Amino acid sequence: MAKNRKNQAAAIRFGPALKASFLCLLIGGSAVGYVWQKNEIYRLGQQIRLREIKLAQLQADNKQLNDQISILHSPPKLDQRVKEFQLGLVPATPAQVVRLMEMPAPMDKSSPRQFAQRP
Amino acid sequence: MTNKQQIRRALLLLLFLGAAFVGLGYRLVDLQVLRHDELSAKAEQNTQREFWQAPRRGDILDVKGNILATSIAVKTVCADPSLIGNFRPYVARALAPLLDTSEAALTQRLTPRISRTTSGELVTNGLQYVRLAKNISEATWQRISDTMANLPLGLDEKKLSRNDRGFLRNLRLHSIFSEPDQQRIYPNGALASQVIGFPATEETQVGGHYISKIVGRDGIELAMQKALSGVAGWKVTETDRHHRELVALRDEDVHARDGLNVVLTIDAAVQHFVETALADAVQKHTPKSITGIVMRPRTGEILAMVSLPNYDPNQPNTISPATRDRAITDWMEPGSTFKIVVVSGALNNGVVKLTDQFDCENGVFFYAGRHLHDAESHGILSVKGVITKSSNIGAAKIGIKLGAQNLYDYAWNFGFGQRTGIPLPGESRGSLPLVKDWSKVSIAQIPMGQGVAVTRLQMLYAMAAIANDGWLMRPMLVSRLQERDGSVVQQYKPERVRPVVTEATSRQMIEALKTVPTKDGTAPTAAMKDYVVAGKTGTAQVAENGHYAPGKYIASFIGFFPADDPQICISVVMNEPKDGHYGGQVCGPVFRDIAERCASYLNIPPDPALMTNAPAFAVENSTHKF
Repeated sequence: MAKNRKNQAAAIRFGPALKASFLCLLIGGSAVGYVWQKNEIYRLGQQIRLREIKLAQLQADNKQLNDQISILHSPPKLDQRVKEFQLGLVPATPAQVVRLMEMPAPMDKSSPRQFAQRP
Repeated sequence: MTNKQQIRRALLLLLFLGAAFVGLGYRLVDLQVLRHDELSAKAEQNTQREFWQAPRRGDILDVKGNILATSIAVKTVCADPSLIGNFRPYVARALAPLLDTSEAALTQRLTPRISRTTSGELVTNGLQYVRLAKNISEATWQRISDTMANLPLGLDEKKLSRNDRGFLRNLRLHSIFSEPDQQRIYPNGALASQVIGFPATEETQVGGHYISKIVGRDGIELAMQKALSGVAGWKVTETDRHHRELVALRDEDVHARDGLNVVLTIDAAVQHFVETALADAVQKHTPKSITGIVMRPRTGEILAMVSLPNYDPNQPNTISPATRDRAITDWMEPGSTFKIVVVSGALNNGVVKLTDQFDCENGVFFYAGRHLHDAESHGILSVKGVITKSSNIGAAKIGIKLGAQNLYDYAWNFGFGQRTGIPLPGESRGSLPLVKDWSKVSIAQIPMGQGVAVTRLQMLYAMAAIANDGWLMRPMLVSRLQERDGSVVQQYKPERVRPVVTEATSRQMIEALKTVPTKDGTAPTAAMKDYVVAGKTGTAQVAENGHYAPGKYIASFIGFFPADDPQICISVVMNEPKDGHYGGQVCGPVFRDIAERCASYLNIPPDPALMTNAPAFAVENSTHKF
């Protein structure tokens, strides 16, 4: 200050002050950003963990339900249920089955015919 | 003066600071360089956690995708006694009913005990890790967690110090914990139990904790162990003070690769039919054991394989040597079913024709110093008649005409004396003595099924070859390996082993075998209403201590249908049946019962000649006017 008074240059030098402020802001901002980023990483990590747990749980439930369906569909269980409810269901005898034999489709003479090339 | 003193002080300070920095530098080098390995390992140990991920064991499915064996997620409930302290009785009282154990037993397990080993070493029963129960369901574990979180301890906790309150919080939240595990279950109980097999749990101790692994002990569980077991995964990561994983610090994350699902050729419905039919036969004839096998002769696929008594793999206490899979493990003299070998061999070699006639000596034939008998006396019989009536003497004479070496070669080619190659552990080879070891009477005895020992599966295997134009097919039990999403990893194809007889010979044999389930044959009870059946009966005496035991028989019937386009080959064998002992008499009806249910279920077209009231409709493909 004394130098300023001596040199009659009382004006504040804004350039260095701005630079210093900018540097402080940069350092401070970086620090805050770093902490924020770390927090986000932690938070997202926890979310990933919870979702992984939920996914595993859903997969386990899905498997359990699939198993249940499969077990309920299994022939021995169905047979047991038929007997339990006395439904009187029995397999059809061959005489009770009508078999439909498919005839070959009639050839359309107008359609182009393809032949294998001779070697 | 002042300057000198100041300089001296500054130098002293500099020296002191320099010494301090040297000290710090040395400490830095010591920590970072000299003790780097030791300290970095210690740091890792403090922060890093390694989690082992068990692969889920693959399922075993039937050919239609029905689950025969699967694994469910369960919990192993563990405790940290150091966090329970003297509150053991409270914890035991709360958990005993949930863990299905007594309070006293639980209290004892929660009490740290120190004992001395034989080598003099002091060991504890686990101060921080005790396993309380295995195979606890997810729902029960949830109830255990809730119970522990609200555990009443009979204290006014507001008056306790902060440390004591912290102890109680740890007790409630962390003293009882669970580890993931899996349990093998068999939803259909005993269905196909001997084919599926059963597992055991193997445990290894890693870092004071147990890692359990399901390992097959028998059946497909053992044979396909590698495909079913999968590959373990692991995760190296860090946890916070609440034991929660810090995902951002996860270092390695290798997912477990689940085991493959094994799809069998077994059809649960057919298996059920056979088990039901055999169980009915057990009620009626009370045999010591009974087996039934259903096979597709064209491919060798086994649709059902049953041996009673059997076991429920969900209840390991029901497993015993008596419940083994007798279809592949037990030997027996085949009896008359073996006649198919000698007759088809003789026909194939051109030694005889179906119409050639043999004198059956009215039931008694003296050969090589021994009397050979027929069950009924017969005079002159054609080769076809020998099969129809199951004449031992006729078969012996055909065998003599065929010759010892040829008979041996045909028996070997039909697969006797060797394993069939079915992918199941414990299969026997049976016994087919070399010609040099035969006695003089062997050439007459072997054609009637004495002096050789076979498995039930081998006999069916041979009959299936006749049904399959003379081609022997490897028995198939595994159809494919697939991922959990159903994508096929490996498909197993039917495998031709070798041609045993020509197609013409097999046709001739089928003509002869068609006469067995008729009123003139030995198994009229095996005849079906809408299908022509071809088959052969067998009644063998049981050998004990080198002699045939009186009144003990092994009865069998092996047949296939429709005879002219064989789709299914079925074997039924009873060991020491009561109320009858002839194969046609006791096994024929069981065969028919199984065959009729299979025909309906598998939608096998009936023989048109036998169908009287259901003509097939012809429908024009192009229009479908109906």
